Amino acid sequence: MAQTVHRTDDVHPLIDPIGDHVLTTETHENAPAAVIRADEVQTVLSTLRTEAGLDHCACVTAQEYADRFETIYHLRRYVDPTQELSVVVPTPKESPISESAAPVYPTAAWHEREAYDLVGIEYEDHPDLRRILLPETWQGHPLSRDYNQDQPQIVSFREHERLLEDHREGPETMHLNMGPHHPSTHGVLHLNAQLDGEQVAAVDPDIGYIHRCEEQMCQQSTYRHQIMPYPDRWDWGGAGLLNEWAYARAAEDLADIEVPAYAQVIRTMGGELSRILSHMLAVATYALDVVGEFTATFQWGVRDRELVQDILEDLTGQRLMFNYLRLGGVAWDLPEPHEAFFEKIRAFLDDLPHKLTEYHDMLTSNEILQLRTVDTGHLSAETAKAYGCTGPVARASGVDYDLRRDDPYGYYDELDWSVVTEQGGDNFSRLLVRLREVEESAKIIRQCVDLLEDWPEDDREIQANVPRTLRPDPDTEIYRAVEAAKGELGIYIRSDGTETPARFKIRGPSFSHVQALSEMARGEYVPDLVATIGSLDTIMGEVDR
Amino acid sequence: MQSAPLPETLANLLGLDPNSTAVMIVLSLVGAGLIGTLMMTNTALAGPWAKRKITAAFTDRIAVDRIGPYGLFIIVADAVRLLSKELIVPEGADRPAWDLAPLIIASTALLGFAVIPMGNGIHLADPEVGLAYVFAVASTTSIGLVMAGYASNNKYSFLGGLRAVAQNLAYEIPLILTGASVVIFAGSLQMSEIVAAQQQSLIGPLPSWYAFVNPFAFVLFMIANLAEVGRNPFDIPEAPTEIVAGYQTEYSSVYFVLIYLGEFIHIFLGGAIIATIFLGGPAGPVLPGIVWFLIKIWGVFLFTQWARSAVPRVRIDQLIEIGWKGMLVLSLANLLLTAVIVGVTV
Repeated sequence: MAQTVHRTDDVHPLIDPIGDHVLTTETHENAPAAVIRADEVQTVLSTLRTEAGLDHCACVTAQEYADRFETIYHLRRYVDPTQELSVVVPTPKESPISESAAPVYPTAAWHEREAYDLVGIEYEDHPDLRRILLPETWQGHPLSRDYNQDQPQIVSFREHERLLEDHREGPETMHLNMGPHHPSTHGVLHLNAQLDGEQVAAVDPDIGYIHRCEEQMCQQSTYRHQIMPYPDRWDWGGAGLLNEWAYARAAEDLADIEVPAYAQVIRTMGGELSRILSHMLAVATYALDVVGEFTATFQWGVRDRELVQDILEDLTGQRLMFNYLRLGGVAWDLPEPHEAFFEKIRAFLDDLPHKLTEYHDMLTSNEILQLRTVDTGHLSAETAKAYGCTGPVARASGVDYDLRRDDPYGYYDELDWSVVTEQGGDNFSRLLVRLREVEESAKIIRQCVDLLEDWPEDDREIQANVPRTLRPDPDTEIYRAVEAAKGELGIYIRSDGTETPARFKIRGPSFSHVQALSEMARGEYVPDLVATIGSLDTIMGEVDR
Repeated sequence: MQSAPLPETLANLLGLDPNSTAVMIVLSLVGAGLIGTLMMTNTALAGPWAKRKITAAFTDRIAVDRIGPYGLFIIVADAVRLLSKELIVPEGADRPAWDLAPLIIASTALLGFAVIPMGNGIHLADPEVGLAYVFAVASTTSIGLVMAGYASNNKYSFLGGLRAVAQNLAYEIPLILTGASVVIFAGSLQMSEIVAAQQQSLIGPLPSWYAFVNPFAFVLFMIANLAEVGRNPFDIPEAPTEIVAGYQTEYSSVYFVLIYLGEFIHIFLGGAIIATIFLGGPAGPVLPGIVWFLIKIWGVFLFTQWARSAVPRVRIDQLIEIGWKGMLVLSLANLLLTAVIVGVTV
């Protein structure tokens, strides 16, 4: 618990509406924190949601201290994400029972299930409190202190099979398991679907098939060197650099590391190339889902990604798991000779408009595709906010939320680009937003290339001075997010003064999107359900972690 | 252009008595074997090799080119690979329906070729109800699809089977109605008569193929045929990204090959019907009839592959809507209009 301050008259405006309920306040690196009672969670959060305008429950972090459990709700505003507040709910060690926030923020339902699953906090009034990442029969809670890490647990298929069983209520629907192995669930996602004919009566996503203990691995790794390779592995769609940036930003702000401007420009350029990689793959596989498995557009997407991968390989030495960012900068300078490298990027950028026209010809302006995707998989702006949707998914529903602009980092606020939004909220809008964001990314990359070309030779500092062993101050806490390819990728870190984090929590944007799927797919046809999954561009690496 | 059916030609060639029933039965079987082999050869070329090459051309790739000239020996490699796979029978499959389905799917399409005049005397039989027969055997495939769908004891197969039936019902009626408009032109269901009726000149060097006489019917037929053979935008019964592989989800090894084969033969049969009733059958300048005939059915095959690479698939409800509300009305209008025009002018 960081720098506990007793209440004074100088109350933070965001805390003001809940003044009576606040036990103490703390300061997290990113936001003030209000500590409240475990049985007042719904009262406090609904007041904050309606009166303080904190309509975005970005993340819910649970952790165990020596003397208590703690749930932190990281709240912010969709209109201005720099307006942040952490609501801390301590619960006693012997009975870790806390009131659920799910009735206030639907997105909290899954976050709290995860907290229950991994840490062991129980939430009262939760609509469906059961394990989410681990098998139902798992013993203990792996991130709790008394959990025996050395005791292996084997879950037989027979035990796991229960998840695939038919839980339907009426005889008029048919139960269908889509996944965990299905051509278009984009990873090992399992959907419990209830079909009424060809229409989806209800769908319950079941995740956790590729849970790899990423949070725990990060908690056992050193800040300086060992954590950075992991973020790449939360997204194998090419968005690795953006994911690395999420960790870099959180850790740098935690340890007060200033990144040189030159490195920021390189990061910005690399990050946007990464975004193009990811969006191209999203568009290509979306074509696969909607057009059919022999579509030309899929191969074109792969063909065009190849050029970006070549550029990123020149820059980082890797094609998928880049591991290029370092705390305080990047691993190394641009490849020599610089002119050839810039030329390669410019050639790609010059060809891009023509290629995007081809995608528009084949996809967005195709009547059959419009027939398939317009007004299907509808997600209203309200539902998007309630479920914590971010990124292209939220922007396609008219939620004008982009952390690159609203919570600036890197070099974005110095550059000329715009945030793409669409009002449709349907499968078509999400496709359109991604295609148009590729254009915006290209704009950013071109400006970065111009900047880098004219950057003074004597000021090319690629890394700040960072101690060999980084030990951030004890009891500092931070939640920081970047605009990754899929949306808000947030990292919560609590430091205990050692060289490894005491708690490392990952907020994957796709986690929220998969949760919203059951709202979007209800009443749709099976093909629309498939198109909706595709349009969300989920990547299970950051869902299951 | 009119020539005796293949068994009679064979009898004359071999100096046997064409009036002997025994001789004709044997020679019919031989003829059927020849035509079957011809179509299977085409299918073998199309499935493992041409399809890959064509799709690759549409998607900026090269595809198979390592094994043999132009990668042609991939056909052998694929055959060995597919036949040596384990045949997995799903638990609770309804046998023998499950075993019969692939046989029905593969054989029915092949039966249709019996009455198709392929030029150069390659024409097994020429009954007066030729066209009706072709449509009849081509439709029998649906039974195979339903059997495969329900007998597999798999929900995806089941959905695929249901989709296949709904789709075939919705598209066979327009298909046959449009075919009937050609019959009105030709005044006969006999395939040789329909081909013969297309041999006159329409304008100048342009022959009076029904594709030129009634392009509207030709377009309708091409679209309905895409649905009939289950290719984009109507590949709904399989739709791998939606229902895994539809009715063929549970089939492996030889059964898979049979279903796959049946699909390709079906595409070629669709091409053969189109060539016969709209494109003048084996007619064409310089080259022999059989070559022209093969060019035409490969042209139709190419069209289906083009559609597959470029056109998004529609949704099942949209497909039914297009079939019953669009295609059916248009094909009825086409039939009526053709009947009136032919009635007035003849």
